[in-house]
Amino acid sequence: MNAQTAIPEVKTREMSYAEAIRDAMAIALERDPTVILMGEDIGVYGGAFQVTGDLVERFGTDRVMDTPISELGGAGVAVGAALTGLKPIFEFQFSDFAALAMEQIVNQAAKMRYMLGGEAAVPLVFRMPAGSGTGAAAQHSQSFEAWFGHVPGLKVVQPSTPADAKGLLLAALEDPDPVIIFEHKLLYKMKAQVPEGYYTTPIGKAQIMRPGRDVTIVASAIMVHRALEAAEKLAKDGIDAEVIDLRSVRPIDRDTIIASVRKTGRLLCVYEGVRTLGVGAEISAMIAESEAFDYLDAPILRLGGAEAPIPYNPDLERAAVPQAPAIEAAARQLVRREV
Amino acid sequence: MPVEVIMPKVDMDMASGKLAVWHVEEGATVKKGAALFDIETDKAAMEVEAPASGRLQHILAAPGQVIAVGAPLAFIYAEGEAVGPAPSVASAAATATPEPAPAAADAVVTTPVAAIAAVEVANGTPRATPVARRLAREAAIALESVIGSGPRQRIQKDDVEREIARRAAIKPATPAPAPVYAAEPAAPAVWSEESGDLHVTTRKGTGTPLLLIHGFAADSAGWMALERALPRDLPLIRIDLPGHGRSPRRRIAGFADLARLVVQAFDRAAEGPVHLLGHSLGGALALALADIRPRQIKTLTLLAPAGLGPEIDGAALNGIARASATESLAPWLKRLTARPDGISHDFAKAAMLARLDPDLRAVQSDMARVLFPDGVQGFDLTAALDRVTAPTALIWGRDDHILPWSQALKAPGEVALHLLRGVGHIPHIEDPEALASLIGRHLRP
Repeated sequence: MNAQTAIPEVKTREMSYAEAIRDAMAIALERDPTVILMGEDIGVYGGAFQVTGDLVERFGTDRVMDTPISELGGAGVAVGAALTGLKPIFEFQFSDFAALAMEQIVNQAAKMRYMLGGEAAVPLVFRMPAGSGTGAAAQHSQSFEAWFGHVPGLKVVQPSTPADAKGLLLAALEDPDPVIIFEHKLLYKMKAQVPEGYYTTPIGKAQIMRPGRDVTIVASAIMVHRALEAAEKLAKDGIDAEVIDLRSVRPIDRDTIIASVRKTGRLLCVYEGVRTLGVGAEISAMIAESEAFDYLDAPILRLGGAEAPIPYNPDLERAAVPQAPAIEAAARQLVRREV
Repeated sequence: MPVEVIMPKVDMDMASGKLAVWHVEEGATVKKGAALFDIETDKAAMEVEAPASGRLQHILAAPGQVIAVGAPLAFIYAEGEAVGPAPSVASAAATATPEPAPAAADAVVTTPVAAIAAVEVANGTPRATPVARRLAREAAIALESVIGSGPRQRIQKDDVEREIARRAAIKPATPAPAPVYAAEPAAPAVWSEESGDLHVTTRKGTGTPLLLIHGFAADSAGWMALERALPRDLPLIRIDLPGHGRSPRRRIAGFADLARLVVQAFDRAAEGPVHLLGHSLGGALALALADIRPRQIKTLTLLAPAGLGPEIDGAALNGIARASATESLAPWLKRLTARPDGISHDFAKAAMLARLDPDLRAVQSDMARVLFPDGVQGFDLTAALDRVTAPTALIWGRDDHILPWSQALKAPGEVALHLLRGVGHIPHIEDPEALASLIGRHLRP
């Protein structure tokens, strides 16, 4: 499933997205004594989404630490720990709460290496459960990847599969700089084969999930699966969509997207964050400025979240972010030259 | 969807045409290719064929009405197709984009006219996707000649690809420089010589007149587009060459003989000094006239003139002179413009209508053989150009396939040289406005 991670002779095991993340953290805790876990209720409670699970029992409270209900305080301690040489994995209960820790993430973690002339590094991982669809309403359902992707000094990834969730987390720990991982809450229960043991998935590399000739759909996180669902429907009408899993918002994999658009001549960006000033806007501009421009045979389209807070009402919540039928319709419009 | 019947563009300088008569009544069935209606242009009356088979509906134009080129005249519904409400002319024009022609043969016939209509509707630069623009650029195809199938007639990638394929398909019809002259039988011409002076027409105005001498296989009617673009009060004198237009069929022994007839016509027609303009063969004759009557010529404008070098597309000249059917004439006519699509099927058809008289074709074939033996210009006027004292301008299309513009480099330094981009051998028809503005500058003292 994953060209970078699934080597044929490697043994795989079916696990959920949450289990794959836990597996990655356990492997990291075992192989690297400087790795520690921090976050609210990640100890005996096992984490807000039960991702850390029993890790506190396996590795003890020195390495799996519950932090007080202060995101700013917890993140600050994590940044400090990283500066001393530890490799903290800091979990926010909801990515929305990262707003409380903006100072530590944006002004401290992202800036230290630069402002100290390379004398210090912040090898820190922030895990951020993100996205809508759980009925958690406006303050617990947002998609902030564009916010953080806007900050030089940070790396921002959005795994869409269990294998990538594990590989990207282990790659984030290898990285000397702060990495933010947006874990889509609706994906935690998704199951798939995951390679066993240690491996990394390169940060900054997109993945072609489904090759196609007619239209490029660049999607991220859960939108990858909705795009694949749409692509199957489109295929029945002879429309061959190429679905690219963006995987990394910063850095963005220019080459893969440009090559794909040069091939298909049509681009649809699908992302859950608010449509305006979002990740898709960046990809659209990047393509318009690139050598792929001369290959476009249709306007670039974006499907993003509504210009509104995520509603609590389940029907409205679904309507507020792109769903498979909307992706299918937009791709169809592009290919049938209706736009 | 019903097929639109439009006013065809049968003449390069035609903006509108007069509907003469419908051959089919509203509601009657019509077969594709059958005579549908007649139009009258300034040059000819011609029959227009039905673009599709079916039932003629929604006749929008009555006999005698003048209709813009590309505007819908009626619609043909397929047999059994539900007849919709009569479309308003405006909405019909907006939906003028035709379905891509399925057969290449159809495309050859219908595309140029339809393309013109589509572009006129768009009113300005054609809309095209980036990839369509790139492909057109790479294939040296003007976007104006491509039909857009996208929203609001946007030109898409496959529209350009279709146009490239279409051109590739018509390429074989474009003649290779065949040894026409070798194959030419030296049989005596069958036509009988006429006597009388060359036919001269004038347009009244104020000031020094502009005398126009047309080129080989053309006639004075060919100046129409340029005349419209020139100042309205500029007096004009037009000479029809022998065996051309309304001049008598005269046998000529060579270029000097022809020049003598032109000088005689000039002496007869001109009441004083003139501005002189000649095109192609007429350019060579204008140069000769300026050489013979130097004090009578105020300015000299030579439009892709002959006589400045040996090279000429003799095959095309002979092909045009001899062609007896639209199919054999069209490929040669396409050599005249910068790009082959400058000449539509309907244009060629109209041109052929003016050349139906076999005697006219024989006269002109004989003249081609005398003036351009073996596909070479048999006369040299570079010395005359050196002697000309009147202010002289040479105007040439950079994409002239008949006479290479490099021959202009023979001109002495005092001669102004204008090389027009995107223009072939007939600038006065391909870009009359640009030419008129150059002439205007040249004529001003």
